[in-house]
Amino acid sequence: MDIKRVTLLGNKDHGKSTLIGSLLIATKSATKQRIDEAKKVSMKLGRDFEPGFILDSFEEEREGGLTIDTTRAQITYRDAAFEFIDVPGHEELIGNMISGASYGDFAVLMVSAKGGEGVTEQTRRHLVLAKLLGIRRVVVAVNKMDMVAYKKERFEAIVESVQEFCMNVGFEPGSVVFVPVSAYNADNLVKRSMHIRWYRGKPLMELIYEAASARKKGNRGLRLLFQGTIKSGRKTLYTGKIVNGRLRRGQRILVMPLGKNAVVSSLYVKGKEIGSASEGNNVALEMPGTHATRGCIGFEPESNPRCGTVFEAMVFSVGRIPKKVQLRMNGSEFMADVSVFGEIDLKSGKIKEANSIKPLGTGKAKIRLSRSVVIESAAECPEMGRFLLYDSGKFAGIGVIG
Amino acid sequence: MIMQNISELEEKSAYIIRETKEKFENVAALWSGGKDSTAMIMIARRAFLGKVPFPVIHIDNGIDFPETYKFRDDLAKKWNLNLIVAKSRIKPELSGFSCCGSNKTDALKEVMKEHGFDALIVSIRRDEHGIRAKERYFSPRDTEFKWNYKDQPAELWNNYSSKMDTKGHVRVHPILDWNEIDIWQYTLKMKVPVNPLYYSSNGYRYRSLGCTHCTVPVKSNARSVKQIMDELKVTETEERAGREQDKEKAYVMEKLRALGYM
Ligand SMILES: Nc1nc2c(ncn2[C@@H]2O[C@H](COP(=O)(O)OP(=O)(O)O)[C@@H](O)[C@H]2O)c(=O)[nH]1
Repeated sequence: MDIKRVTLLGNKDHGKSTLIGSLLIATKSATKQRIDEAKKVSMKLGRDFEPGFILDSFEEEREGGLTIDTTRAQITYRDAAFEFIDVPGHEELIGNMISGASYGDFAVLMVSAKGGEGVTEQTRRHLVLAKLLGIRRVVVAVNKMDMVAYKKERFEAIVESVQEFCMNVGFEPGSVVFVPVSAYNADNLVKRSMHIRWYRGKPLMELIYEAASARKKGNRGLRLLFQGTIKSGRKTLYTGKIVNGRLRRGQRILVMPLGKNAVVSSLYVKGKEIGSASEGNNVALEMPGTHATRGCIGFEPESNPRCGTVFEAMVFSVGRIPKKVQLRMNGSEFMADVSVFGEIDLKSGKIKEANSIKPLGTGKAKIRLSRSVVIESAAECPEMGRFLLYDSGKFAGIGVIG
Repeated sequence: MIMQNISELEEKSAYIIRETKEKFENVAALWSGGKDSTAMIMIARRAFLGKVPFPVIHIDNGIDFPETYKFRDDLAKKWNLNLIVAKSRIKPELSGFSCCGSNKTDALKEVMKEHGFDALIVSIRRDEHGIRAKERYFSPRDTEFKWNYKDQPAELWNNYSSKMDTKGHVRVHPILDWNEIDIWQYTLKMKVPVNPLYYSSNGYRYRSLGCTHCTVPVKSNARSVKQIMDELKVTETEERAGREQDKEKAYVMEKLRALGYM
């Protein structure tokens, strides 16, 4: 069974842990032992049963009521398995959040309908970040419907506000869907709830199932990221990972940014010599006469990759991004000049002119590197068009080309 | 328990192991003779075309099971492993948490220092224990071996911590994403040798191996990997339920990890 990764976003306290806990119970994915342990801890802390405790494993987290780092839970539904990644909705920990979110193909966003909660700045920030991280589809769970007497008007107000923001940020129409739920009471999680008869759509797990089944688009050309070398007896072989396309023994490839053609004379995957390898394979290969180094990329010879030192990118800033940074992309490190020319306004989701990006903000920048690289937009090949930024060795932000 | 696609899992693990060799100068791996670290070594053998390119360390507290010693020595020979045995001293007055903490961790610290390893491959899995869900693939440890889980480096898009990010060493977790049952799937498919303690004898088998002092067997009639998998598909108990130290307190693992235990 393949596991589909689900990134869970949303403002702290809007019910992410509770949702995962309830789903673990409703889909019978948690062992009795884990449920009992969570019940005991809830009692010990003098609270009603908190399903979220099935998940939060650190003692101090339970006491503080805050998820510290990404947590994973595996849930089976129909013929599929889902891994829920719970990211902290807590701003200082956004670096950790990015690590978690980057593993997901699509996201679930929790928005609490409770009075005083609703769509917040953190909610909108998460949507902006989701877009940047390449998430194409969002299932919005409007939560805590039990606390607003399951009122349709409250649900609709939240739908409208999220939908408008999503359009401005650039999500495709129809790629954001909504469902009213109560994570605590398990309403509309796996089965349609009798409490919300006015809702005619599908329950949350079904929407997630559909979002996960949507096919990814992308180009099919060869992209081989060179990783380094290994020794086998007297031979030295190049290692690399195919992130797109196929590679055959005997094939001629173009190694960039060297600009050299080379022939793959032998090819190994998982310890065995083979005739052809494809996307996802870590290969070892011989390629006489060409010195590929870490960070080089292999293409089909007839392709025409763009190389250069300057490109435009969407950048998320953790703290403040200085003008000079280190940039890590495809396993290599570069010095880079960053000049910002726009920032996303968190109220509307639209880009406005700016020459710096606020902490935890997202903007557009022109980036100039110290040496030439292959420039490919993340929309074309997500594995290649994205990078990390560091300020004197400290993580400062992330970006995608395009 | 969910079974994943082991071919994809192996690709990810192989990438991480190769990345470790590429970015660090002096790599070692822990090898307990248990199913997880043995599967990891199998992955490494395949990623490096037959020869494991780093030493494997067995932390030997002198009270492991005889089956484990034999398994270790036979396999080290068969697979031509560079085996380092790090002897730890048992302190009879301690048990459970403080025992594992002091014995194994002290021995590990010594051997790491003696050989100057800058990266240590550890075969932990996320599904083993709640706190392990917080682990990264590359996890820096300071010179005291402490793990600062609140301030971990960002890990995304195949960019991982390297040596520059820490003054201590980096723990590498190539099989973090595997579930218990995936290890057995892989063991079955690749015919990875199995420590006989995992098979049932007199109605009991070991599900997770510690030392003779604090590991207790579980009820089982499984006498083959296939039968082990069939039992796991319907089990209601956690894998480490047989380990003394885990029962003491909900957050014992957290303390052990912070102290440098694996
Ligand atoms: N009444 C009600 N309370 C909820 C619901 N979902 C979550 N909560 C409560 O809201 C609080 C925060 O939820 P939690 O899951 O910890 O939020 P997180 O920070 O997003 O993980 C907890 O006390 C939950 O019991 C819901 O659907 N209904």
